[in-house]
Amino acid sequence: MAKAEARREAPGAFEVVEFQRTFLREVGSIFWFIVNTFQESMERVQQGRVPFRAASFFRQTVRAGVDSVPLVGLVSFFLGLTMALLTGYQLQRFGTERLIPGLVAISFTRELGPLITGIMLAARIGAAFTAELGTMQVNEEVEAIEAMGIGPLRFLAAPRMLALFLLTPCLSTVANLAAVFASSLICKAFFSIQFLYFLDLVKDSLLIRDIITGILKSFLFGLLIAAIACYRGLTVKGGAAGVGTNTTSSVVTAITAVIGFDTVYNVIYTNFYPT
Amino acid sequence: MVELRDVRMQFEEKNVLDGVSLDVEREERLVIMGQSGSGKSTILRLILGILRPDAGSVFFKQFEVNRLKRRKLQQVRQHIGMVYQYSALLSSLTVRDNVALPLEELTEKSQGEIDKIVDEKLELVGMKDARDLLPDELSGGMRKRVALARGLVLEPELILLDEPSAGLDPVIATVVDELIISLTKKSKVTSVIVTHEMESAFRIATRMAMLYEGKIIEEGEPEKFKESRNPVVAQFLSGSTEGPILEGTPDAIRKK
Repeated sequence: MAKAEARREAPGAFEVVEFQRTFLREVGSIFWFIVNTFQESMERVQQGRVPFRAASFFRQTVRAGVDSVPLVGLVSFFLGLTMALLTGYQLQRFGTERLIPGLVAISFTRELGPLITGIMLAARIGAAFTAELGTMQVNEEVEAIEAMGIGPLRFLAAPRMLALFLLTPCLSTVANLAAVFASSLICKAFFSIQFLYFLDLVKDSLLIRDIITGILKSFLFGLLIAAIACYRGLTVKGGAAGVGTNTTSSVVTAITAVIGFDTVYNVIYTNFYPT
Repeated sequence: MVELRDVRMQFEEKNVLDGVSLDVEREERLVIMGQSGSGKSTILRLILGILRPDAGSVFFKQFEVNRLKRRKLQQVRQHIGMVYQYSALLSSLTVRDNVALPLEELTEKSQGEIDKIVDEKLELVGMKDARDLLPDELSGGMRKRVALARGLVLEPELILLDEPSAGLDPVIATVVDELIISLTKKSKVTSVIVTHEMESAFRIATRMAMLYEGKIIEEGEPEKFKESRNPVVAQFLSGSTEGPILEGTPDAIRKK
């Protein structure tokens, strides 16, 4: 009643407040989802048992990791080509085309590699996780697992979350290598920078700190994408339509979250290490 | 073994259970009947602790299920088997793996012991030859039998069956009903069965309860039910369209 009144009196403000409320509720739910999954898995470890089946974990790593290599590699390769080509022509005007290798290597290692991998995984694997778990939820399979006395979070969500947590940095590395390789081809073909010189330029410009930053980000993105996807899957309501809605929502939320966290991470990081 | 005390449950604006009190004695087969959407399955979910009542208490043995913490609740659930209306077999696992799942996850038994128990349970329900098939490759009746084997694999003290013969042809429905009777007798397990299929209910039940408008309106032996003078029970058993059940509902208006 009070809600309807508020909506009538100030519709714009009401929408904003409602959006903020929903947003905070969702953030809180996903945070507690991660905490509860971790807690359930740890309880199992304390009992001296493995939290989930090794076969289930490896199935997810193959699905999320190995099967994603071609997509992540190809997209990053094309991006590396484009980036080297377009920036190369601009830099050539100032006679500084030897900056291309460093530019591509740093931007991919620190930023684009993890980001592209995160977006690809959110679309490819996040959607698959949500649809799969959502269908299980609709078919009462999740409830059946719970009814047996098995924790569905540790049994269903934990292997998926761990697989994506561990595999995202590996895929980011694949993305970085593919992009750097692509830019080396462009450098040789268009700007007469030979491979060995290219490698020297990359080594000179790239710092260990850049690599660590990218890897840390990738761990975070992997966990975030998997948590959002599993959470959305396990909270499906409303049959097949609900699975569709939550799958779309999972992809959109995961991509937004990855870009949002990336920004926050960069802001914090550049405050501590401005150069 | 199970006790519901003045249980109330509301979904959105609707009072699904409005002060339900019910006792289930050891080794009996209690059939809860009622219309679709009357809250029968909700009672099973309350016993399992999957839903928590808005008011009242649910006891399984000495445990007040609605107050148990997650870890204890999981332990209690291991003493209760559940067979879902649509079987709820894990579609990515074979029949063997579905039945073995509770044993692998919740006991310390070796693979050899697990295989032996699984074969034994599948033999009991006549599904041993289907052990390597996926649920998608089974008929509705076969799935129900596998679900029954999975429900009994931990030797529970209580088994809950949600519409065990719904959607099955009469012959297979009888097969499943008789299987339930023989298995529950053999394992001395108490069972609570929810159904609105009259034939199946009278075949299985040692005691019956009728849920109507959120309350248990009649309870007793199957014979007592057949002779009930309660107009709701009489209409429900006869399947007649004339009577209090349809009064004031859209179905009744359409008829007129």
